[in-house]
Amino acid sequence: MKDKLSVMMLTWEYPPRVIGGISPHIYFLSKHLVKQDVKVYVVTCDFPGAPAHEVIDGVEVYRIDSYKNPSPDFATWVYLMNMNMQKETAAITRKLSDEIDVFHAHDWLVANAGIGLKHIFRKPLFVTMHSTEMGRRDGLHTTTEKMIHETEAWLTYEAWKVICCSDYMIGHVRYAFGLPNDKLVMVPNGVNIHNYEVPFDFRDFRKKFALPEEKIVLFVGRLVYEKGIHVLINAVPKILSKVNAKFIIVGSGYMKEQLLNIVRSMGLEHKVLFQGFLDEASLLKLQRIADVSVVPSLFEPFGIVALEAMAAQSPVVASDTGGLSEIIEHDETGIKVYPNNPDSLAWGITKVLLDENFAKQLRDNAYKRVQEKYDWATIAQQTKRIYQGVIKEYSKSFWA
Amino acid sequence: MHVIIFSWEYPPRVVGQLSIYVSKLSAQLVNNKLDVDVVTYDDTIKGQSKEPTGVKTFRVTNPVKTHIGVLTWVLTLNQEVERAAASIYYDSKKQIDLIDVFDWHFIPAAVTLKNGLKLPFVYSVESIEDHRSPNSNTSYNMAIKSIEWLGFYEASKVNVKSEWMKDEVIRIYNVPEEKITVVSPDSNDWIKGMLKIYRKMAEEKQNER
Repeated sequence: MKDKLSVMMLTWEYPPRVIGGISPHIYFLSKHLVKQDVKVYVVTCDFPGAPAHEVIDGVEVYRIDSYKNPSPDFATWVYLMNMNMQKETAAITRKLSDEIDVFHAHDWLVANAGIGLKHIFRKPLFVTMHSTEMGRRDGLHTTTEKMIHETEAWLTYEAWKVICCSDYMIGHVRYAFGLPNDKLVMVPNGVNIHNYEVPFDFRDFRKKFALPEEKIVLFVGRLVYEKGIHVLINAVPKILSKVNAKFIIVGSGYMKEQLLNIVRSMGLEHKVLFQGFLDEASLLKLQRIADVSVVPSLFEPFGIVALEAMAAQSPVVASDTGGLSEIIEHDETGIKVYPNNPDSLAWGITKVLLDENFAKQLRDNAYKRVQEKYDWATIAQQTKRIYQGVIKEYSKSFWA
Repeated sequence: MHVIIFSWEYPPRVVGQLSIYVSKLSAQLVNNKLDVDVVTYDDTIKGQSKEPTGVKTFRVTNPVKTHIGVLTWVLTLNQEVERAAASIYYDSKKQIDLIDVFDWHFIPAAVTLKNGLKLPFVYSVESIEDHRSPNSNTSYNMAIKSIEWLGFYEASKVNVKSEWMKDEVIRIYNVPEEKITVVSPDSNDWIKGMLKIYRKMAEEKQNER
């Protein structure tokens, strides 16, 4: 066997293309795998201005033409994009002759490419299920949703190991696709604390978002149903009756207009700021000045935003669901509230905002927890061990 | 010589005339001492078998049953076609000379296999989207056309059944004339014509090595 392990990551997003949490996840995982002496290739969708091939922190990144084919809808686009991704990756893999040891796909968005490449090159396939259609939609209601669900089932069936980022997700994926226990592995998501160490003038930066007497309540996420942003909006008047605050909503999504209308009808436009997308540097600062970070999700496989807030030393109020339940220890590293319950959410936020000593205690405990448990170096080590275990099993198979 | 044929229909599944044509062609190729595997789709019969004619078949089903249209159905079926073709490739100790792909359905698989395993393919044209859905330029039709275009671009040879179709393929897709062969299934030299194309491609593959 070669001395160096080689992995080909497949993902529909990688910086500078950032749509959700998969992009930063693969960025940090790949970077830290390189530090663990693993050769990492990433094949991803193109992005305006980003080169077709470059080396980032030792990671070989290839970007494919993902808008080559006209597509009637998003799902069909995904499958067509996979056709191109698969074709390009096949050519890259062949040029590397026998170098690639494993393929690692992230979510159904690259299912076809991952499955095809596995069979063509006869190498083990890994999948990280960051989320599921069933969870995102709270059930399966339309033909498209069922099709995506079945594609996910197919992907987990074809994978040698299915990686999930929380115990909650392990249970959910096992139930959703009827998978055997020994196929599932838990590796938590990580967060980079050093991102939050850049010095800046807190007071000056704060002025851009809130009045000095206003507390800052921060929400970061897509404005979609599963993120529970409507629960926070409904809690706004309840919180304002107890404490003067400014609500800053970072992110965009299909619910934006609807939410704006609700805020307008409540006459609270001056209290709720829809910021839209924010550049990373500003977001990191905003997370540090937030008096409370709110994660009101209804479905959350992991809950990276909570972890980021903890790393930014902002106290967290999160719904007691999914991965969030595991990240937050109630009254120790944050506050957990009932999901989809504006009263409970308002109670949690008010409690943090009114009791500064308590808030400080949460900040300190949370920061310590992040350092201990959610460090990317540890996560890369765990991932490498999983690859090695499977390569050992694979070496005894007739494919080897 | 060892050939793999991709066709989305093969008896007992008969949708149009392609099914019967591919069955006739594959049997004739075996008569001419070729090793022939047909990879095809069927939703009730699955797996490998050998026909009385000596043709080996590998039938795959779609792992995803719910679909929003023909396009998604075709695109998820392609990985199963790749799995079947890769199995045949590895089982025959990588001694495959070429793939003959009928129409657009399995072009994605053929293109990936070409790029990944250096298996050249001939694109055999039964019909094209521009004729099936005239004047239709919705993104759905355009997506199918883009797959056809990919096939014409990546194929080593494009085989058509008439001079008229040759002109159409040149007119619509700008396929270089020297890439196109015309073999009429009605002519006496039909199978000879097909063998000539395959031999030429096998030779070119040998020379590349």
